[in-house]
Amino acid sequence: MTLLPWKRAAQKTGPQTSTFEDLALPLLPSLYNVAFWLTRNQTDAEDLVQESFLKALRGFASFEPDTNFKAWIFRILRNTYLTSRTGLAARRTVALEEELDEQRESGAGLYPEGAIDRQTPEINLIRLADRAALNAALEKLAPPLLEVILLCDVEEMKYKEIASVLEIPIGTVMSRIARARTALRRTLEAQNTQPREWGA
Amino acid sequence: MTDHLSLVTINALADGELSAEQLAMANDHLAACPACTSTALVQTLLKTSVAKAAQRHAMPPGLEQRLRLLALRETSQSSPGTAQALRPARQSAFAGWAVAALLLLVFSGVIGLLHRGQRAEVASVEQSAQVTEVSDLHIATLAASQDPQVISSDRHTVKPWFQGKLPFSFNLPENLPSDTKLDGANLTYLHNQPVAQLLYHIGRHRVSVFLMQRKSGEAVSESQSEHSGFKVVNVGVGDLDLVAVSDVDPARLLELVGIIKGVQAGGR
Repeated sequence: MTLLPWKRAAQKTGPQTSTFEDLALPLLPSLYNVAFWLTRNQTDAEDLVQESFLKALRGFASFEPDTNFKAWIFRILRNTYLTSRTGLAARRTVALEEELDEQRESGAGLYPEGAIDRQTPEINLIRLADRAALNAALEKLAPPLLEVILLCDVEEMKYKEIASVLEIPIGTVMSRIARARTALRRTLEAQNTQPREWGA
Repeated sequence: MTDHLSLVTINALADGELSAEQLAMANDHLAACPACTSTALVQTLLKTSVAKAAQRHAMPPGLEQRLRLLALRETSQSSPGTAQALRPARQSAFAGWAVAALLLLVFSGVIGLLHRGQRAEVASVEQSAQVTEVSDLHIATLAASQDPQVISSDRHTVKPWFQGKLPFSFNLPENLPSDTKLDGANLTYLHNQPVAQLLYHIGRHRVSVFLMQRKSGEAVSESQSEHSGFKVVNVGVGDLDLVAVSDVDPARLLELVGIIKGVQAGGR
């Protein structure tokens, strides 16, 4: 089929822009939520989303249409975050990586049996329904564990997609998820020992 | 049984990441191992609880519009077609500007009208979604038959409990209508925003009053609606929205709402 010249021009420029907006705009609430969790600050979260959005728009020509747009734009967000954060956050990330590597090398195993109490007290189940407690526990997670749990549980990404966003092997995704949930459970259990505030 | 499933496997099970073969093996093990079953249950509950709790940061209202404009500016700057179109216009610059100005006037008028219509439509959809959500929260509270997170009929206990939990403050009335009592309160979330859920009862009817920070700058005019047999009253008070839900007589619900609204200005 031969297209008229104006139709050919429209195919080259028009649809790509609208396609970007069609794909990116519905993801803005998710991007903002993750950005806020990472930056812990509304202004920084807005800046991070805006910068990532513009980077994605400018680089949209390099996006392969049949691949996963969500993973692609989250990867941009995450890389933008890593390059825009202070040295402190970067050092924390590196420190955790080193800790993980050390444990792996020592052969101790990341999750020795008994790391989690398998006989789950009922109080843990009740605690899981307490959003404030869970949010407090999430805030205590180290950034590499927080980002993996947000992508897995909130964004419902598959391990393969998370590996693509974080640019790490699937095995590392799996171990980080296990580590993140262990940390969350430990924090929730520790909260149980604190007295709960009840009114008179 | 000594060989428990590894936590990585249990997590992969909770995340739906096991292959059919791995899933069958895990299920066989779970059928015979209460400890691993318990762990798997907790990991699954943790996953769903995190999914709900972590979805808490709502996008600021103006951000999407700002990004749309940025995208528009970006594409218009980078589009070669736009640059080419500007060049021949120099010959008849005045006529071009006049036409452009006229078009701009017409467009802005049309867009203004459309925008106003869309805004009204969006507001109506948002309000209807809010009615559904607060009704669901109220029903869930009734069904849970759990104690409130803060149990007290004393406003001096309930109000301070929210300090640091909410990005706003509010007042509670001391004098309530006859047969009306404060039972306590919960910290809950609505549209990913923290919200105070005040629990009252009027006679034998239970009432939830939700206090939340308004997203947009426009005050909500008083509105009443009904959802699943519950009366829902929505009023704007300063920077707050107050939504009350109950199956009590509407007049008595309105009386309570009026009293709570009245003390938000600082009075008691």
